[in-house]
Amino acid sequence: MSILVGPDTRIVVQGITGREAQMVVKHSLDYGTSLSAGVTPGKKGQSVHGIPVYDTVKEAVLQHGVNTSLVVVPPLFVLDAVLEAIAHGIRLIVVTSENIPQMDTVKMLAAARQAGVRIIGPNTVGLISPKHRIKLGSIGGDNPERCFVPGSIGVISRSGGMTAETSWMIKRAGFGVSTSIGIGGDALIGSNIAQLLELFESDPETSAVVTFSEPGTAFEEGAAEFVKQGKFTKPLISYIAGRFTEQMPEGTVFGHAGAMISGEFGRPSVKMRKLREAGAHVIDHYDDMIDVLQRTLRLN
Amino acid sequence: MGKLLEHHSKRIIKQHNVPVPLNWVASTGQEAAEITKQFGKRVVLKALVPVGKRGKHGAIQFASTAEEAEALTNQLLGMTVRYFPVDQVLVEECLDIAEEWYVSITLDRNKQLPVIIAATEGGVEVEELVKRQPDRIRMVHVDPFTGLQPYQAKEIWSDLGLTGKALVQASDILFKLYDVCVNYDCDILEINPLVLTRTGEVVAAASVMGVDDAAASRHPELKGMVEVGGERSWRPLTELEKQMVAVNDADYRGTARYTEMDGGDIGFMCGGGGGSLLCFDALLKHGGSPANYTETGGNPPEEKVYGLTKGILSKPGVKGLFVAHNITNNTQIDVMARGIVKAIQEIGIDPQKFPVVVREAGVNDEEGKRIFEAANITYFGDDVTIETAARLMVERMKEVYACQS
Repeated sequence: MSILVGPDTRIVVQGITGREAQMVVKHSLDYGTSLSAGVTPGKKGQSVHGIPVYDTVKEAVLQHGVNTSLVVVPPLFVLDAVLEAIAHGIRLIVVTSENIPQMDTVKMLAAARQAGVRIIGPNTVGLISPKHRIKLGSIGGDNPERCFVPGSIGVISRSGGMTAETSWMIKRAGFGVSTSIGIGGDALIGSNIAQLLELFESDPETSAVVTFSEPGTAFEEGAAEFVKQGKFTKPLISYIAGRFTEQMPEGTVFGHAGAMISGEFGRPSVKMRKLREAGAHVIDHYDDMIDVLQRTLRLN
Repeated sequence: MGKLLEHHSKRIIKQHNVPVPLNWVASTGQEAAEITKQFGKRVVLKALVPVGKRGKHGAIQFASTAEEAEALTNQLLGMTVRYFPVDQVLVEECLDIAEEWYVSITLDRNKQLPVIIAATEGGVEVEELVKRQPDRIRMVHVDPFTGLQPYQAKEIWSDLGLTGKALVQASDILFKLYDVCVNYDCDILEINPLVLTRTGEVVAAASVMGVDDAAASRHPELKGMVEVGGERSWRPLTELEKQMVAVNDADYRGTARYTEMDGGDIGFMCGGGGGSLLCFDALLKHGGSPANYTETGGNPPEEKVYGLTKGILSKPGVKGLFVAHNITNNTQIDVMARGIVKAIQEIGIDPQKFPVVVREAGVNDEEGKRIFEAANITYFGDDVTIETAARLMVERMKEVYACQS
């Protein structure tokens, strides 16, 4: 098993005829991911790398029983695309688009909460499960094997690029990943660290989780609380980038849009302290990850 | 988020029938004197800068005569408020205040919902009020689909103790403000203070409106009122930063955000988002000093990479270039390499005397490596970690400049 995706995953790509989507589709198919259908309004009857295109999600569900959607549409069309997927019973939606107006994001997340639908993103590189050779999104690009090899470590990263780099560090340390997830760089996202730790906790094939974090938001503080309450019991290894930002004037934004520090809230040092207090292995230097992984996992 | 200057936000809320004081903009002391003379009553003079806490910084003054208005305006025009030079002054009708209240609409990022914050104490920092007198404040979340209902606006003020005409007016104003907030994709719309005058009118005495950059294309009417990119900075953009915004805007492919540091000698181009934070931390850890910070990602075309590289190297004091990305998912390394090498060669940089260290791994990196190495640039791929590459960059700086001095 892996979290979120597996043998039952049936994928529809919303916005499949776009330039970015076509590249993602090509790379996913090359990797071995099975894609069932695509949707672009007005383009029914076309195909993208052999994947049939429909006008509506409704048709894709009727024809292919899709249950998972990869949304690769321009920012101003995302809200409607997500509402359409929710309306037709899609259970997992990965939203890769960035620069979505916040009010639209708020609406789309509210609709998903109400329907019990899980959203990853927006502004995410996606997720990958090497064992099942399923990748949703641009994660891994044209060469997923470079960084993502099958194994038992879960990866949760706020940065898309660092999802790859962190999985590569895990590979360097001699291990592999069960599922690697980029949760998205925005402050408003569908699935946060604690929510994904909950899934990794109940996944028998995940033995530890590595997180990559940035300044801003309360995701790490929330994860620390979750671990403290005993709801995540596997080894948790965390790195928080951007400590230099604490020396910069308040209101400066480096990294992602979510990475804004305001007062005590969102400071890397506070996140590190809270995670440490909760029992996580918080590493000071990124390169230490290899040693810490080897020590921690050998002990287990 | 780009903040609108106060006269812009006041004009917008006034168009939506929210009462605001009479106001004019003056660019010189003389203009302010003329306005005051014609108005014939006491005025408030406010520095027109897109930051809050102006009162605290002495950027709000009161004048009863034209002479006073002139002198105070000249004084304000000489100020810099929280890094923003004052170019204009807002001259406003001075209200006869009985009570000051507070109201704002913003997004609660934890609950992921719009939130209304209202208080019957205004003119203060709301963060302080929350701590000091939580009973005098209401925080109400709004369903983003159904929006704020008139009865909810009424309940908020009624719970705070308002009644009679004041309750009706304040509720009506809040309802209209919520409308403005949604219609203009505001990140924040804050009225502080919302004033009850001695004649019983409720008036928005000061307004702060910030608009979501991502929604800018939905609001062509706001063009020129919001500085795009300004939301990422605590100060006005520098000339070079503005040039880099133009380089970025010239092509929609790939993203680039440039921020200038005080001092520093390493020109710095790094992976977007998380990777750039890690690189910066790593350079500092090994004793390096970045001069700027340029996040690039996605798939920038060669021209954009070239323009950014030239910009990075044009900052005075830059004596080396560090280009580092995390192993990329989709960025084409060969395209990056062509842009960087073209800029370096055009400027006439000799990597033997001016360290250029690159750590790039990803799509087409074999070709990228060939291009970098043909230009004598120190190249690393996925044979070293980001931290190691940063350490080697700093060592290279020490080596080269120790030799030269």
